[in-house]
Amino acid sequence: MIKTLDRRTVIRALIVFVVGAALLTIAQIAVGDSAAAAPAAGTETAIAQAADAAAGSADLTDVEDPSVVEEDPGSPNPSGTTSRPLQLLFNGIIFGLLLALASVGLSLIYGTTGLSNFAHGEQVSFGAVLTYFLTTQQPVGLPFIPNDFVIGLPLIPAALIAVAVSAFTGWLQDKYLWSPLRRKRAAMVQQMIVSIGLSLALLNLLQWWIGGRRLRLTTAIDERWTIGPIVVGRTALFSGLIAIVCLLGVSFFLLRTRLGRATRAVADNPSLAAASGIKVDSIVRLVWIIAAGLAGLGGILLGLYDQGTAFDAGARMLLLMFAAVTLGGLGQAFGALAGSLVIGIVVEMSSLWLSTDLKIATALIILIGVLLVRPQGILGRAERVG
Amino acid sequence: MQELIDLLTGAGREIFGPATAAFALAAIGLNVHFGLTGLLNMGHAGFMLLGMYGYAITVRETGNMWLGILAATVAAIVFGLLLGWPTLKLRGDYLAIVTIAASEFVRFLGRSQVFKDLTGGSTGIRGTDFKEPFESLSPFPDKLVTIGPFTMHGSRSSSWWLVVVAWVIVGLFALLFWRLANSPWGRVLKGIREDEDAVRSLGKNVYAFKMQALVLGGVIGAFGGVLFALANAVQPDSMGRPTTFWVWTLLLLGGAATVFGPILGSILFWVSLVTVRGLAGWFIPENVMSATEREPFSLVLVGITLMCLVVFRPQGILGNKRELVISG
Amino acid sequence: MVNAPLSPAAEYFKDVPHEPGAPKPDPVIKATDVHRHFGGLTAVQVDHLEIQRNAITALIGPNGAGKSTFFNLLTGFDKPQRGQWWFNGNSLQSRSPAQVARAGMVRTFQLTKALNRMTVMENMRLGAPLQRGENMIAALFPALWRDHEKEITAKAEELLARFKLDTKKDDYAGELSGGQRKLLEMARALMSDPEIVMLDEPMAGVNPALTESLLDHIVELRNEGVTVLFVEHDMHMVRRISDWVVVMAEGRIIAEGPPETVMQNPAVQDAYLGAHHDTDLFEERQ
Repeated sequence: MIKTLDRRTVIRALIVFVVGAALLTIAQIAVGDSAAAAPAAGTETAIAQAADAAAGSADLTDVEDPSVVEEDPGSPNPSGTTSRPLQLLFNGIIFGLLLALASVGLSLIYGTTGLSNFAHGEQVSFGAVLTYFLTTQQPVGLPFIPNDFVIGLPLIPAALIAVAVSAFTGWLQDKYLWSPLRRKRAAMVQQMIVSIGLSLALLNLLQWWIGGRRLRLTTAIDERWTIGPIVVGRTALFSGLIAIVCLLGVSFFLLRTRLGRATRAVADNPSLAAASGIKVDSIVRLVWIIAAGLAGLGGILLGLYDQGTAFDAGARMLLLMFAAVTLGGLGQAFGALAGSLVIGIVVEMSSLWLSTDLKIATALIILIGVLLVRPQGILGRAERVG
Repeated sequence: MQELIDLLTGAGREIFGPATAAFALAAIGLNVHFGLTGLLNMGHAGFMLLGMYGYAITVRETGNMWLGILAATVAAIVFGLLLGWPTLKLRGDYLAIVTIAASEFVRFLGRSQVFKDLTGGSTGIRGTDFKEPFESLSPFPDKLVTIGPFTMHGSRSSSWWLVVVAWVIVGLFALLFWRLANSPWGRVLKGIREDEDAVRSLGKNVYAFKMQALVLGGVIGAFGGVLFALANAVQPDSMGRPTTFWVWTLLLLGGAATVFGPILGSILFWVSLVTVRGLAGWFIPENVMSATEREPFSLVLVGITLMCLVVFRPQGILGNKRELVISG
Repeated sequence: MVNAPLSPAAEYFKDVPHEPGAPKPDPVIKATDVHRHFGGLTAVQVDHLEIQRNAITALIGPNGAGKSTFFNLLTGFDKPQRGQWWFNGNSLQSRSPAQVARAGMVRTFQLTKALNRMTVMENMRLGAPLQRGENMIAALFPALWRDHEKEITAKAEELLARFKLDTKKDDYAGELSGGQRKLLEMARALMSDPEIVMLDEPMAGVNPALTESLLDHIVELRNEGVTVLFVEHDMHMVRRISDWVVVMAEGRIIAEGPPETVMQNPAVQDAYLGAHHDTDLFEERQ
């Protein structure tokens, strides 16, 4: 599955990226204030986002600044961290791993069915929101039901239930929406717009259900440990470990099990796979279940890592997910993993020289750059592109 | 009874309101992209936002309305060229992703602290900074004016003056669309929509035609943004991904590739939205659905409508089934 | 009925040796050292080929021989790793498909590209070259293009009548039968009065009743001075109407000659060994 990288294209992609980042930096210096102290801008953005979200507009700005690890805004060396680049690298790896959980599913769905699923962001948010619904001590309600109630389960059982329910929604979607559309031979454009409508409906359903405010998945205080030059939060570490275990599990499944190999075959070439006797419809159903489950898990872990989530947490990540998947090669699960790590690290480390609210911009530039020079991504095959 | 009258007036007002006109214009632009040429532009809000910024910033700095219009046009043209250069060679779903990314990028830059002096950051640009030159041209009195059951201000923000100007502009661009769609230029675009290679084999420079369509549709979208800004204010978050999706919904509702589809779609969209919100407030008790929940509730219905439209009636209301833009 | 041996074009090939790469008295297309490979697979490796003007040349070969790829290369729809080719002495090698078409080399496609959601007449009008109305600004002023439009329409009606599609002119192309769409594509290709028409498997998917009619149309074209090059699997058609046959196998040209002798060539028979050359097979697209 691993193809040799074409060195010239990687160099071209890097050039595009460097030029784009340089332009952004220049623009930033020329037009605006100098890069605001990163932590301050980080927290401000987070609060601004929550306020906007509460006001009702679906706020699609950047992901919360995970460098909230730095507790003392404004000071050049926030408590604990002695090496900002290494800290950001670590943050980037963790963030990349969590992003990978969400992106792998997106990539597999594309590979097996050709669908760019614009509703995947909501799949991520759903897992997080459901977990909040189950664990919070605040009263919560359901749409149309007048009374509020408290469920208050502990985090781990709630998370497991949420992941299971998320996986179930994947099954539901494929059974009642996507496979009927495929049987009707609906064009890709049609399916894509359906996913857009679904995204709109689900985003607003989540907002209707749980409101626009910021949601904390756990009220436990996060311990911080200092390991060498970096500060590591306990939740960050555990989220990362869980993500690694799950990603290893997925990799094992894809590489070593018969079902997994069949899945890769379908993702690579559905008609050829069907011709060799693989039951494509069952594989696709399985892919939807796995993708939705992983996305839900990703949403939960991200909600823990960011110390909070919201109805649009996933929507805000959608572009990052697409960037990761495109970078790695649409349809290549391992590409999605590689792409997510690259995006995670780049996004985090860009705050070394760019203001934090321009962080996402680097991911967008990568996305556009990759599509320019090598639309099939790092691992993809040229034939896939138009 | 009074509530019924309020509901009807509120809904009725959406039939000719400036927001309806603004979105109708934006949809006409998207119609050039998707209805005529088959381009999957999922970043139309980016064009609208650039139009808004171009106009408002220029008027704020120079006080000249015409320069503002020129700036909005140039911004849209440049964005269209930049967007088109790498993407027009790509397949449909890649184009969709890149256009979303690019327009989010625009919104991002506008919203960021870094460019706050220029764009006002997340709060945007206040009406008082840029509306004056337009409003000063109004022949309507400078106070609330009631015509029939509708009361609006004569000249400020969402005003009778803006209503008149907006719909005249919509009419002009609808005429432009009709003229171009039924011309040889439009014919080439329709061919491209069907099959690019066939059109290439007939000697036409497909890339150039697509670029022209992208830029024209983008400029029209930018003007839609300007109208919206004149009715409200310049706010980057009002032009996000949902906005693009609303324009798609109302275009598909009315009928892509038709002349009046965008207009009908916009009217139906806004009237329905307001009506659903009103009816929800009316029939559903407060403890079952609070006032703040009505907006997302109505938008859930918008999402479901879009899905059903695309599956069951992709040609929309006015569309011709044989000329379906989205093949089943 | 058309008798191939008596065709006037046979004159041209009187003195041409029956070997691959043979020079022709009046070549309209010349190609040299054309190489196209995909990864490790060499699809096309043509040392030299000349296509005679004003004649019907068939390009045949078993599945996977590289005929369609070579076709795509000549018409600009694909780029080779190396190679040169000329049309009327003008180099075409880095030209886009649209430029190739404008130069006078027009093609059809194996999977017919009739524009289904446009009417037959609109399909035809699209084929006309040099339309001022296709300029975005000029399009706004009908006075600038109305007359040309009338001329185009008249010409289209003539061509449609010739191909017996005139009664269908206001129907959507999607409503026509498969064979009628093929005829439409051919008629549309003629709107620009091309010098050479390249037909990609014109018989593919056409019912036998229509085959005769198609064959007659192609011969008519040649008699009017148009050069025809077609890729085909159908040996019946090849024997019936072609003046000259070029045989490809595994990316190379292995034989050239008039239809009767080429079939006798042992190298050609070897290449086809095991292949069913009297059935219509869809060649797998590369």
